[in-house]
Amino acid sequence: MRILGRVTSSNVRKVLWTADLIGIGYEHEDWGLPLRDPRVPEFLALNPNGTVPVIVDAGFVLWESSAIMRYLGQKGGSDLWPADVRERALVDQWLTWQATELLPSWLYAVTAFLAKNPDFNDPERIAQSVDKWSANMRMLEAQLAEGGGYVANGRLSLADLALALSSHRWFSTPFDRPELPAVTEHYQRLKATEAGRKYLNADTP
Amino acid sequence: MGTLSILGRLTSINVRKVMWTCDLIGIGYEVEIWGMPHRDPGAPEFLKLNPNAQVPVIIDDGFVLWESNAIMRYLAESRRSGLWPVAAKERALVDQWLTWQVAELNAQWGYAVYALMRKNPAYTDEQRIADSIRNWTQRMQILEAQLQAGGGFAANGRLSIADIGLAVSTHRWVSTPFDKPALPAVMEHYERLKATPEGQKYMSADTP
Repeated sequence: MRILGRVTSSNVRKVLWTADLIGIGYEHEDWGLPLRDPRVPEFLALNPNGTVPVIVDAGFVLWESSAIMRYLGQKGGSDLWPADVRERALVDQWLTWQATELLPSWLYAVTAFLAKNPDFNDPERIAQSVDKWSANMRMLEAQLAEGGGYVANGRLSLADLALALSSHRWFSTPFDRPELPAVTEHYQRLKATEAGRKYLNADTP
Repeated sequence: MGTLSILGRLTSINVRKVMWTCDLIGIGYEVEIWGMPHRDPGAPEFLKLNPNAQVPVIIDDGFVLWESNAIMRYLAESRRSGLWPVAAKERALVDQWLTWQVAELNAQWGYAVYALMRKNPAYTDEQRIADSIRNWTQRMQILEAQLQAGGGFAANGRLSIADIGLAVSTHRWVSTPFDKPALPAVMEHYERLKATPEGQKYMSADTP
């Protein structure tokens, strides 16, 4: 299996981390700026969006990081993607929430504060992004505090990987953050694992 | 099986995705109207079910679930519907396009829809309207190429939950007034689904 994408993308790291935990071997190809422009015909033939990650599994091409994680979970028969339909749905709910609610809320603030892109300087949009991101992280705090340190079913799942990567972005972005003890504990616990050290380090904020 | 409740308002496309899925699978349900302007989902009673204060939420014989795509996958899987194929690769392609609908496609149209369809006075930034239209159009062109290559369906050459998510998105595209490029495969897919009983119900002029 090939995994195409730069390790600086949290969506690529979701897939690498999933493959590592399930024990699926892969070749990693760096794609994405500034390393290798994905807007070239060779890459667009795999993913017309020009985004990373993409996997090629013995000829089978798939993109959208959450869909890739679910595919690898099913392919590997992994409990990270539980077999029980309701347990699976709760993992799916939080994994989907990460991509559709949490990630969009941080985009403006992260581009302004972490990537320091000078075009992202609208104070009102920065404030909106910080407020929404903080509200979402407080929701995650309540869920982790109530859920025994995991986001679903009281044990590790694909959703925890995506959320730990999101917390890594939260803690790597310089701004006034509210205290979130259950989020911090979840993040530090996953960061102390072998894969956590690889995918939640200072080189990839 | 006990009862299934769907909490939400018909004007939300995410609610319609879930109702359409239930109708096609043949799952009976009760609708509880939630969402503005009908009933504020910021109420404690609702927040206990979904702390995001968003619709839809389902309660399936006591089991609470939110996030429309996760609900569609759950309903199809728990009722063993072919709208969510069992074979891993076929399933993954449906998942890819359904996920793309919320993560890529839906993410582009927000500003343009508020400005041009809902005419919300807080959405008047010309540059942001133009950016939204450009990015939305570019994603719709990706869908056009996929439907052309895929024999009129998003994945695997047959109807799936991804087609439902994409058809209600096309309905929003068609219902928002601005100059659009011709997308013949998108329009053929849309008109074909709109001609079904569910399409008539969920892609009417009452719910743009």
